[in-house]
Amino acid sequence: MTPAPRAAAIEAIDVTKLYRRWGRKRSVGSFKSALLSGRPGRALAPDQAVPALTDVSFGVAPGETVGVVGANGSGKSTLLKLLAGVLRPTAGTIAVNGRLAALLELGAGFHPEISGRENVLINGLLLGLTKKEIARRFGEIVRFAELEEFIDAPVKTYSSGMAVRLGFSIAAHSDPDVLLVDEVLAVGDEAFAHRSLEKFSEFERAGKTLLFVSHDLGLVADRCQRAIWLDRGRLVADGPAAETVARYRESVSEREAERRGTAERGEPSRPGRIGSGAAVVTGLRLLDRDGRPTARVRSGEPARLAMDVRAAPSALDDFVFGFAISTVSGAAVFGSNTAIDGFAPEELAGDSTVSLEISSLDLAPGVYSVDAAVHADDGAPYDYRRDVLRFEVAADRPIAGVWNPDRRWSFAGGVKWKKNSPV
Amino acid sequence: MWRQRALVAALARRELVARYRGGVLGFFWSIANPLLLLLVYATVFRLVFTPRADVRPYALFLFAGVLAWGFVSSALLDSAETFRANGPLLRKTTAAPEVFPAVAVLARLAHLVFALPVLAAAIGVAAASGAVRPTAAAIQFPVAVALLAGTALGMALVVSALSVHFGDVRDLLGNLLTLTFFLTPVLYPVSAAPERLRRLLWLNPFTSFFVGIHESVFFFRPIRAEVWLGMLVATALSLMLGGAVFERLRDSIAEEA
Repeated sequence: MTPAPRAAAIEAIDVTKLYRRWGRKRSVGSFKSALLSGRPGRALAPDQAVPALTDVSFGVAPGETVGVVGANGSGKSTLLKLLAGVLRPTAGTIAVNGRLAALLELGAGFHPEISGRENVLINGLLLGLTKKEIARRFGEIVRFAELEEFIDAPVKTYSSGMAVRLGFSIAAHSDPDVLLVDEVLAVGDEAFAHRSLEKFSEFERAGKTLLFVSHDLGLVADRCQRAIWLDRGRLVADGPAAETVARYRESVSEREAERRGTAERGEPSRPGRIGSGAAVVTGLRLLDRDGRPTARVRSGEPARLAMDVRAAPSALDDFVFGFAISTVSGAAVFGSNTAIDGFAPEELAGDSTVSLEISSLDLAPGVYSVDAAVHADDGAPYDYRRDVLRFEVAADRPIAGVWNPDRRWSFAGGVKWKKNSPV
Repeated sequence: MWRQRALVAALARRELVARYRGGVLGFFWSIANPLLLLLVYATVFRLVFTPRADVRPYALFLFAGVLAWGFVSSALLDSAETFRANGPLLRKTTAAPEVFPAVAVLARLAHLVFALPVLAAAIGVAAASGAVRPTAAAIQFPVAVALLAGTALGMALVVSALSVHFGDVRDLLGNLLTLTFFLTPVLYPVSAAPERLRRLLWLNPFTSFFVGIHESVFFFRPIRAEVWLGMLVATALSLMLGGAVFERLRDSIAEEA
């Protein structure tokens, strides 16, 4: 946890939130039947509790910008609502020091029938401003939203972009010490998104505390000093934004590969298998550097492809083993076989294992497909299996293309880089 | 709730503005509706029924009571729907949930206030014909209405909190209000009830309010101390009960609404 020089702006200790479900009674039951049952109190007792957050603790120092990442349903929005005070924790404590503004949804309080002017007042009050403060900032709010000509028209006449601009402008001018933002930058056009990011920068420079939930991992890695990763209601990582985001990305691709692996096992006879059957490929594995089967390799690490081959007991004397790697869209990445690499066959009988070791798998992050084959020297297949295995390559940074070579930049002459550059 | 008063006021204003902006005639209706009601009463009870001698002009007696009852019943019915209607505000902003039943009550109270010129005019007409003799006792009216609003607020808190959990609160409430309307001296004075039922009538928490309202703007007499006490006790109990129920269910409101 980051040491806080002053009192923390946000302090959450062992926060747990259980959502209680009244599902059965809500859909079927009624107050009448609850009264007739003679136990109306019982109808108000929840049926079951679903944990949304479990023992989450963290602190945010004043002036920090913190991102919250995690899959859908991991508890991010619940956390924000708890911090905002919309919901109350079932257990644990939450403290927020300073004026808080929560942007859980831009323009959430807008009423379509009344004018923009009146909606600014209500939204400002909802954000904790006083009438006087709103009156003082009114001109600036309208100017930033670029709605000078429309401010007295009912909000129902606004385009969705106009409503979003107004909602953001009110929040941005509410001058909070702590701002909570839930995925609101996903809306609005490019120019507006840019302007709102600028506003956030201004906010950071003013030493305000910002906590935001986003699925835009690039934005989190870019804009936040720190990031928190929630997984199924638990805090699994809390550290420098780039690090947390990289770990989260890794886990996502791991799960994706797992899911794909499961799908594969459940579907053994895939199309794309041809051959005479004189020898058959009975298994194909990708092994990591420790020799364990894996579906995911970090770019640049060693890897080994291994195929099990079964041939008739009567020996074959014409055989070639081959592997090919391609992208899932079908572009060839690599292909070679024992003939190309200079092996001259003598005898193949019974069960064998063929391994190809790659000392550094310099592939760009992505998903790849493997073909494995055993065939005759003239190309006639004994068993040619297409797309028999898929694996994922993970890396910290996206790369254009398929190749991620080990590399180094160097510069001579009048080039200078800032201190945090990798040179 | 006091800290949120500016928000309550702004939302109540929004409620009124939005309601009337939808219609062509706008605020005109807030005067026209009670005026039409009064004209109907005046016609029916002059030409069709002959009311008891002690409540003439009956149209005025009825109008004062119906105005106040209309406020209570519509405020409670609105509060049964307020969380559903304000779902986004409740889930997406930091507004305290008790703001919404308070807005429902305040907006309906505003309707009552808008109708007061019609009541004043009716009193003026009745006074001109010598049927009533207005006195300073009329200033008791706003006090009685304020206490009635407090009682309605307590009940609105209960109704709104329960409406989050039960889908049929509004229907049930509608029936209950119709029943209560006839069990409350809105259409008739307490003295019109049979002797042995009068004691039961006083068990109805609304009775003292309507007795007080009729005393102040129909009979123009000072309200008796025990009637004031009845109003105060009803208001205090209602607010206490409302606060307790709401507090008990508070956590579930933002989650369930």
